[in-house]
Amino acid sequence: MTFAPLRLRAVDEGRALVVNDAGRFFMGSSAFVDRFADDRLTPIDGIFLRAGGHVVGDDDPLGTAAHVRGVADRIARAGALDYLILVPTLRCNLSCSYCQVSRVAESRVGFDWSEDTLEAVLNLIDGLHAPRIKIEFQGGEPTLRPDLLRAVIERCDRFDRAEFVVCTNLQHLDAEILAILDRPDVFVSTSLDGDAATHSRNRTGKPEVTDAFLANLRMLVDRHGPRKVSALPTIDPSLPPEPDDLIDAYAALGLDSIFLRPINYQGFARKRHRESREQDDAWRRYYERFVRRLIERNWCDRDRVLEETYLSIALRRIFQPGAERHVDLRNPNPMGLDYVVIDHDGTVYPTDEARMLARSGVIDLSPGTVRDGWGGPKRDLLNANATNQFDPDCRRCAYQPFCGRDVVDDLARYGRIDVPRHETEFCRRHLHLFDFAFQLIYSEDEAVLHSLARWLRLPGQPTTFGESVS
Amino acid sequence: MIPLVRPAVADAERPYVTRLRVVSPPMGANEAVLIEGDDQGGVFAGPFGLLDVQGVAASDLDGDVVLVDPARGRIERLLRDDSTTNTLLVTERCDQLCVMCSQPPKKTHVDRFDLLEEACALAPKGMLIGISGGEPTLYKERLLTMLERTLSIRPDLGFHVLTNGQHFDGNDVERLSHPAFRRVSWGIPLYAADPALHDHIVGKDGAFVQLETCLAHLSMAGARIELRTVVLNENVEALPALSRHVATRLRFVEAWSIMQLEHIGFARNRWAELFLDHRHRFPPIAQALDHALLHGVRAQMFNFPRCTVPAPYRHLAIASISDWKRKYPTECGGCRERGACSGFFEWHPDEEVRMVVEPL
Repeated sequence: MTFAPLRLRAVDEGRALVVNDAGRFFMGSSAFVDRFADDRLTPIDGIFLRAGGHVVGDDDPLGTAAHVRGVADRIARAGALDYLILVPTLRCNLSCSYCQVSRVAESRVGFDWSEDTLEAVLNLIDGLHAPRIKIEFQGGEPTLRPDLLRAVIERCDRFDRAEFVVCTNLQHLDAEILAILDRPDVFVSTSLDGDAATHSRNRTGKPEVTDAFLANLRMLVDRHGPRKVSALPTIDPSLPPEPDDLIDAYAALGLDSIFLRPINYQGFARKRHRESREQDDAWRRYYERFVRRLIERNWCDRDRVLEETYLSIALRRIFQPGAERHVDLRNPNPMGLDYVVIDHDGTVYPTDEARMLARSGVIDLSPGTVRDGWGGPKRDLLNANATNQFDPDCRRCAYQPFCGRDVVDDLARYGRIDVPRHETEFCRRHLHLFDFAFQLIYSEDEAVLHSLARWLRLPGQPTTFGESVS
Repeated sequence: MIPLVRPAVADAERPYVTRLRVVSPPMGANEAVLIEGDDQGGVFAGPFGLLDVQGVAASDLDGDVVLVDPARGRIERLLRDDSTTNTLLVTERCDQLCVMCSQPPKKTHVDRFDLLEEACALAPKGMLIGISGGEPTLYKERLLTMLERTLSIRPDLGFHVLTNGQHFDGNDVERLSHPAFRRVSWGIPLYAADPALHDHIVGKDGAFVQLETCLAHLSMAGARIELRTVVLNENVEALPALSRHVATRLRFVEAWSIMQLEHIGFARNRWAELFLDHRHRFPPIAQALDHALLHGVRAQMFNFPRCTVPAPYRHLAIASISDWKRKYPTECGGCRERGACSGFFEWHPDEEVRMVVEPL
């Protein structure tokens, strides 16, 4: 008796990618697919399938153990709460056209943490059991309240390791803010939409404001090296920049990781960028063209590794389950456990997107407050649906072991979570992402294979990234 | 080289274990305090009477847990306070006979488990203690009991047991699933994916098949496993196949250590036949490392001096050689990677060492 939990994804010319529940995969030729479909597998096929762990014989206890452990490795476990996304203020000194967070003007009163909220946040930190902590300051523009940042950072002294990320537009850096950013445990995350003209159009409105931002960004990179800073572009898919222009803007600053994101269908973008609810083939073609350009540049200049962040995450999820802790792509994806968002008024949200949905008046997914705690039936209801394992579409999908589930994204786009999976933007985006990833994995182009090895952080070049059977 | 056995005269008649105190204040019972000493030795007073240790500076002994053997007139420094690499030898018997064995087995067994258990109870806080042989699991019941009893009173300690993985069975799964065994890892050798080649290297027919069965039990118990592969002329070309085997069937291991040969034991006389100069045949090792890392197996190299490894793989060559048997030739003085480097075994031929070293 042999256990064969195999799923197929048609590729081209009758070939199919074959994946099992543990995420082991190979490329089957059209002849193999025919033999498989007609139940005519040969003894040699059987040897190949067992040796590669694609099927499990019941006379093979180690193969069975490896398979069981492999399936378990694909299941994300949320540990103790050790990641806080804090919004000390909703006020901001910019007004970006697609702002996701429904910010308020810099001069408004009543949109910062109160004394009580600060105290509740500090109490929460005091009560955490994890040995390490990561805190991300979001906004609004968090640098408008350096005093709150300091209070939180100082309270984390007791942890074995603490890491802070300040998500800032870097418009104004004075000595007080710089003293915070200079700390070795503080990192900066900012937005850089491309060249100065694109950045002005999308965000600042004025070239001189853009210049101030770029000068601050360059100063930080010069002062602390490129590892200090991560930047993310937001792309307007109706008017995407030339890949080289965007890459150049990043490369010039020593920033090698570019997270290519289309406008998120959230916050102000729901009104101003209605088309951002779903991305079409044009976006996907642009994404591929962008990555192909990174591959060419990596091949021409071997001393440098440029990457598209999300593709690297997808590759690690394919090959190295457990190595990745990206909370936007994991399965199951439970909420309100290992990370939470605490808003300017002390409300707790499961994710930043959930915060935006509440701000936009779409749906309130808050399970509680930092003062009174969170949990209970609302969180349980969300988490009961936070897996792709039992979804009728996902169960047949070859990419299920690598993919994730995002209940909040479904609610944002469709107002419900029971839309057939393959009709959701989440599914279309990830089907494309994994199709593209496997196209690269089975490429014979040396340049592609070079980039893959670098993105997967390998010292050299593996003989092959994936097996094939003819 | 740091001497682990020193001559000593003791009042007691039977062997005992004690912890020596030189400058640090006594922490508990079963400790012997220095009365007088110098850089040639020292006299200690403890619950078993006087102990006169020679041939080592008294100050070096502070905090050491020693086994005193009055009949043979010596002490064994079992757990040295300032070392991260302490290993307890529980038996010299073994049921394999590896072609390169660094510590050739003996036929007789001297049972010291009770004394070793006492030593573990006296270990400094948080110490990782190595257990070696011979084959420790030939006395599996004694071994597991010692680990369980020690960890129940000293949950701060950790153990790393070197075993050939031939003696686990289905009855051990539940026992090894106990949370206490999260503090125990098992270093298990696997030399090839080809059963015949593995069996030949370990000198035992059927060893590969038996090992697979035991690894299945250990896996189901959630045991922490470090696979170990010594590179030899005989198996170097088979490393890429072994790497595929590891990534497919043994991805659950904590680490896979690819190890360079130690110039001692059987290997000393068979050096020319066994030793592979990886400087000239690194590609199969590189292939094995890349494939394992691709699939998330933490592959690493032991006993590979950093300057002998191609630059992209250098960070995988870790400082693996225990402090008491490690040496760096004078040429290494100016090397910027020395602190992260394995160096050489004390018994590695000096002329070879000098030939090899190219300070970075």
